[in-house]
Amino acid sequence: MLAIKLAYRNILRQRRRSLLTGLSMAGGYMLFTFSLSLLEGSWTGVVDIFTLDHTGHVQIHKDDYAKRPKMHKTIQARPQVEAALEGNEEVTAYAPRVYAAALAYSADKTSPAKVIGIDPKLEPGVTRIRQKVSQGSFFDSAPNADGYFKAMVGRGLANILKLKLGDELVLISSGADGSIANDIFIVHAIIGNKTSFDRQAVYLPLTAAQTFLTTGTDVHEYAFLVEDKHDNEAIAATIAATLQTDLPSLTVSPWQVVEATFYRTMQSDKQGNYFMSGLIVFIVFVGVLNAVLMSVLERTREFGVLRAIGSRPYQLIRMIFLETTMLAVISIAIGLALVLPVIAWFTYTGIEMPQPIDMGGVDFTHMKGELSLYVLLLPMAFMLGTAALISLPPGVRAARILPRDALGSH
Amino acid sequence: MRLMAVALLMLGVSVAAAGSKSARSIIDEVEQLYRGAASEAAITMVVETPQYQRTLKMSGLSLGRELGLFRILAPKKDRGIATLKRETEMWNYFPKINKVIKVPPSMMMGSWMGSDFTNDDLVKETQLIDEYQLSMTESDTDYLITLTPKEDTVTLWGKIDYRVSKSPLLPVSQTFYDDKGVKVRIMTFSEPKEFDGRLMPSVVEMTPLGKKGHRTLVIYDSIAFEPPSVTKDTFTMRNLKARF
Repeated sequence: MLAIKLAYRNILRQRRRSLLTGLSMAGGYMLFTFSLSLLEGSWTGVVDIFTLDHTGHVQIHKDDYAKRPKMHKTIQARPQVEAALEGNEEVTAYAPRVYAAALAYSADKTSPAKVIGIDPKLEPGVTRIRQKVSQGSFFDSAPNADGYFKAMVGRGLANILKLKLGDELVLISSGADGSIANDIFIVHAIIGNKTSFDRQAVYLPLTAAQTFLTTGTDVHEYAFLVEDKHDNEAIAATIAATLQTDLPSLTVSPWQVVEATFYRTMQSDKQGNYFMSGLIVFIVFVGVLNAVLMSVLERTREFGVLRAIGSRPYQLIRMIFLETTMLAVISIAIGLALVLPVIAWFTYTGIEMPQPIDMGGVDFTHMKGELSLYVLLLPMAFMLGTAALISLPPGVRAARILPRDALGSH
Repeated sequence: MRLMAVALLMLGVSVAAAGSKSARSIIDEVEQLYRGAASEAAITMVVETPQYQRTLKMSGLSLGRELGLFRILAPKKDRGIATLKRETEMWNYFPKINKVIKVPPSMMMGSWMGSDFTNDDLVKETQLIDEYQLSMTESDTDYLITLTPKEDTVTLWGKIDYRVSKSPLLPVSQTFYDDKGVKVRIMTFSEPKEFDGRLMPSVVEMTPLGKKGHRTLVIYDSIAFEPPSVTKDTFTMRNLKARF
């Protein structure tokens, strides 16, 4: 207790210096936290864009379908998979899908297309597909009066094929049994815009797609969302463990694996940012080190007296350590109090962008931050650690002071 | 002695002459087997892959080397899908979507109806003699004719080994090599049967060597030669789309 009291008093002895040192630390903490918050916020935004557009937080495939999609790599034991997903409290929504490449024909145009079979009831729970309908309305599984199934067509494909609502769309593909899949569908909706991920896609109701591609009741993919998106890798591992015993051929991949290229880009961008933040902290603490060293040097006589009346060297080290870290704690507390409202505002309101960024048919209007323990605690831990570290050299210096020399100095 | 030497010499010459002549005529004769001037065949095609096995029933009409019309009769889902071949061009017809689609040159190496035969097999198979150099060796029972593409021939194959049994004169196998000399696929002919007075292998099996577990069997259930109903007018777009 005495040591803490002493350290506290020592901080207050040179108030102006302590204030300036503290301010630089508080400023460094705020800068670090704020940039981390914006970084995490914007990346989370980007991750949300594609996880909620099509990827989902976690996907389940047969074998290596995610890397090498083949028509015959289908998930057959759907009831078991769905039971596993429903049995996990963290899973909020799931959707089965069937994929195929196809050739699409309108009255007089042809284009390659990506056929995606989705469950009209389950898919909107996982993705924003319902919001992406730009013309017409979201479809259902029922055929129309002439027995044709409905299709939703990506904007890009609709433009190439000059399709309008109600038009006939002919698809040709190869079925899972080696047959040539060919059928007519009716355009029921147009999806997204020319930059959407699914601009070249044709969405079919799952059952219609399965009949078209003769995949029976099998699907190629399950995508699901989890309660806490930051926890998706752990939940993917849990689901994988659940499925492992009965269905070892299924692969459960979090989006970090599905979108591995993007994930690596994101990680390297984050690392770049950490480096910059580290640099800021370094500059701040060079200043702090200077201040602490100065305060030690100017108290040489004092330390000599302390040593002469019986203080152990480690007690001096502890005192300098406490002085520095206490100042850091106080500064960070002030910094936290100042930066918290800013981050909160950025998180819940955000800066409105002059021009909304369009991400595949979903508009992003605000630049947002992230308010989380991670964003607040990581800079805190880093700064306290650095403060503790830089207090050591001056402390050691103080501990080495010999009373004889010190008392002779001015 | 001298007489005998002359006789031997003459024999040698005549064998050599027969050899170079017959390589061409052998292939001609063997290829003619399946086609005749005109033919009408009922065919069962079995496509086997590690994932599925699929059996198609179809009818095949041909006139000479240039014209062909194939129609799928079963399974029901695919009934009516048809392929028309004229010279080097091909069209597929899909009744469900009522569309005739020309097979573009880029798709010629693509699979025909999901089988291990390519579209190109149907179109070009009959031009072996014109587009390849022939050389022949023979064993006691077989002729082995090696076909190497002529300089200006556009083909995927670096070499084709065509084995033909001597008696009866029937095709045994065709082995296809790529331009590096690696075996790519083997087509074998087996189970000779008499159709309409001609003996010919009733089963043709195509095995691509690069794809494990894949093979296609073409089984001839019946063939009628020179049927009066098959004329040049059979092979029209209109007939391709006709209901039957």
